[in-house]
Amino acid sequence: MKKIESELLIFYETAHAELASALEMLAASKLTDSPKQVFGYFMHAKDEYNHARSFFKMLSMRGKRASIETARNYRFTSPSLITKGYISDKGFLIDTMKLKDFIAFVYTNELLAKSSFENILTLVGNTTEEGKRISDIMRDELRHHGMAKKHFLNHYPALQPWQLMLYRTRETISNKGRKIYDANLKFLDRLLTPLYRAMAYIAGTIAKKLNLNEFKRDGKNLMNIPTNSIL
Amino acid sequence: MFIGVTGYNHESSAALVDKNGVLVDFYREESLSRIKGDKSFPKRSIKKLLDTNKIRIKDIERVAFYERPLSAFLHIIKEASMHMPKSLPLLTHQFRNFNRSSVSCYLDFAKFFKGLESKLIYSDHHLSHTLTALPYSNSKKDICSVVIDGFGDRSTASISQVVDPTEINELWECPYPVSLGLFYSSITDYLGFAINEGEYKVMGLASFGDSNSKSAKLVRGLMDWDTTSNKIISDMSFFDYHLSTSNSFSSKLEELLGPARNPFVQLIQGDSDFQRCADIARGAQDLTIYLLGKIFTHAHKITNSRRFLFSGGVSMNSASIDSLAQLPFVDEIIIPPSPGDSGCAIGAAFYCYIKSNYYSDLKISKPSLFPSRKEVRNDEYLTEQIISNEFSVLERDEYDAFLNAAELIKAGEVIGTVLSCSETGPRALGNRSLICDAKNKEAVKNLNTVIKNRSPYRPTAPAMKYEIAQKYYKLRPEISECYKSMGATCKCLENNLSLDFPTTHVDGTARIQIVENNSSLDKLLSILQPMGIDILANSSLNVSGDPTCFDLVDGLMVCSRTKLRYLLTDLGLLKRKT
Repeated sequence: MKKIESELLIFYETAHAELASALEMLAASKLTDSPKQVFGYFMHAKDEYNHARSFFKMLSMRGKRASIETARNYRFTSPSLITKGYISDKGFLIDTMKLKDFIAFVYTNELLAKSSFENILTLVGNTTEEGKRISDIMRDELRHHGMAKKHFLNHYPALQPWQLMLYRTRETISNKGRKIYDANLKFLDRLLTPLYRAMAYIAGTIAKKLNLNEFKRDGKNLMNIPTNSIL
Repeated sequence: MFIGVTGYNHESSAALVDKNGVLVDFYREESLSRIKGDKSFPKRSIKKLLDTNKIRIKDIERVAFYERPLSAFLHIIKEASMHMPKSLPLLTHQFRNFNRSSVSCYLDFAKFFKGLESKLIYSDHHLSHTLTALPYSNSKKDICSVVIDGFGDRSTASISQVVDPTEINELWECPYPVSLGLFYSSITDYLGFAINEGEYKVMGLASFGDSNSKSAKLVRGLMDWDTTSNKIISDMSFFDYHLSTSNSFSSKLEELLGPARNPFVQLIQGDSDFQRCADIARGAQDLTIYLLGKIFTHAHKITNSRRFLFSGGVSMNSASIDSLAQLPFVDEIIIPPSPGDSGCAIGAAFYCYIKSNYYSDLKISKPSLFPSRKEVRNDEYLTEQIISNEFSVLERDEYDAFLNAAELIKAGEVIGTVLSCSETGPRALGNRSLICDAKNKEAVKNLNTVIKNRSPYRPTAPAMKYEIAQKYYKLRPEISECYKSMGATCKCLENNLSLDFPTTHVDGTARIQIVENNSSLDKLLSILQPMGIDILANSSLNVSGDPTCFDLVDGLMVCSRTKLRYLLTDLGLLKRKT
């Protein structure tokens, strides 16, 4: 059962990541004003949607075998793309990044995604149906990586391939940093949970004494309640 | 200009009302972010309102948030604090996410739209619902408003008397945590569907259930109406939504009804668990209809009104509206096209308008079902490479494109539409739809299961002109407006052909749409009727789990990702290359 749970986690997170990529690319295709780029981002988004669908299918296969309680924890709802940080609450990358940085980000992350899929491939086995699908996805990611590189160098001919390498190194380091930060955050979270709960207990004890009846609206004209009151 | 905004708890959105009381624009955040049920601060929607209508922040007189944030926060905390230590995880979660709750809307305005925060005012949650529904009523005076949802900023249901738009008196409320909306969501969760997404699946599933089954009767007993106190009563020990962040129902409900359903296992008619789940859904539906009847009866008793506005998430339960229309004291029920929280942005914007024109002559115009502004974007130029690589243009001329589409429908094809402006509410009314001949069983099956990948127990809506609807369905004049936005189901006439239509539910009802004059579907039906097709099956243009398409790129994407072959657009009729 533990094996299924760890696999569920992997496919759940990967499906999130691929769907978020699809949405990022779709947003890019709507924001650009060159028909060629609209088409490029559109096709990239379509690939990512298909990848996400494959991972959701793999998640579902495992979810069926899991206990109901476990399965319920891995049920996908779209807003978790934001709450889990796969899409920033500040906006899409194309909204918040310079175009040059955005293309370099795509270039780098497609390669990083490919290497993380290698681990999933080991998990499911090369020769299985799922393994074949993951190999296809890895080929797609490599193709996207190559296209991003071509696009970057076409768009910014003054820049050299080694400068792209710099982007890649920077992104690889920050990616590792994010993982370390995430792991530490989870550790800290476990450590601080008793403290948080103690604080919530104290706050709850105070809240218990709150009398909210005076904010009742019975018989009141709702249009006359002060407009600046948040209570 | 006035802006109304919703967010943080359910789908977020933004609406724009002008100084003449006209709803000029409305966007749901999920349409723009493509994240179904997106509840984040609606920055994209507000930006689009400003950009599309070419207005600056200084042109905005007031902006209203649809609820009173601290009230919502405190009522949840107060209730949870009564059940410590069991509720400690919920309390911890609430405090830790304080800055992500609606309390931070002032800061979000300051961060994303500097200057708007100083114009921010707050409306009551249920008042926003009332003011969303009111503009859709022909008369804006002397009408009773019933709001029933999961949770507002203090209550879960309320009855108000609308004397006029400046005097709306609340007369009854159902305090949190007893909630008809959250009860229905808990059953949705128990049946393995996602809360806020799967409620309509429960409604569809209920058609297959038996009201006299043991499961249905057990569910039916979970809540009741106390005739002496005129209150909804509920044994809260069956529910955990007020105590937990992850469970909406308690282990006691599983002891009562059996184990909850695994969400990953598909529910297929004929499977061993199907009937049990259908019976549970039936029980939930029966209880909802029963309690709605009681609430409306009480509303009539205390207001003496025969005309009702009905809004809040529970009013989307279209299968219960027909029963309400049969109550002897009901003359009219108005349900807005977007009665859930996302539609509340419209009410909040009207709240600003009314507050700013309190002592002058108020003019509130009836909003269109398609209020979003058509984007000024050169789609033909921008999508030329997508279209030339992935599609062929069958016909560019508008009339000929409609004519070709009609011929394809007659030949049994399914057509997607991305035409003009998008719809206000969650239901596609023709401009962002998948359509086919509603009497062609193969075409409807293809639309439902092959293209949309929906469960077979969820039928598609039939759309037609009024005179055709009269031939097949038992229409009720009290809810005639609801039929325009698929807000109510109706029964097929006895021994009528419609009982055999593939769009008819197993219980002999259908969620019909009566098309508006001069709408896209009206135009198409005018061409189709001489060809012998008078009803179209209509479903939203999206891939299962995604929001309905918003623009042409979304439509092209759905076509590319599914087996849909034809797309009727403002650029003409397109055919996907295989």
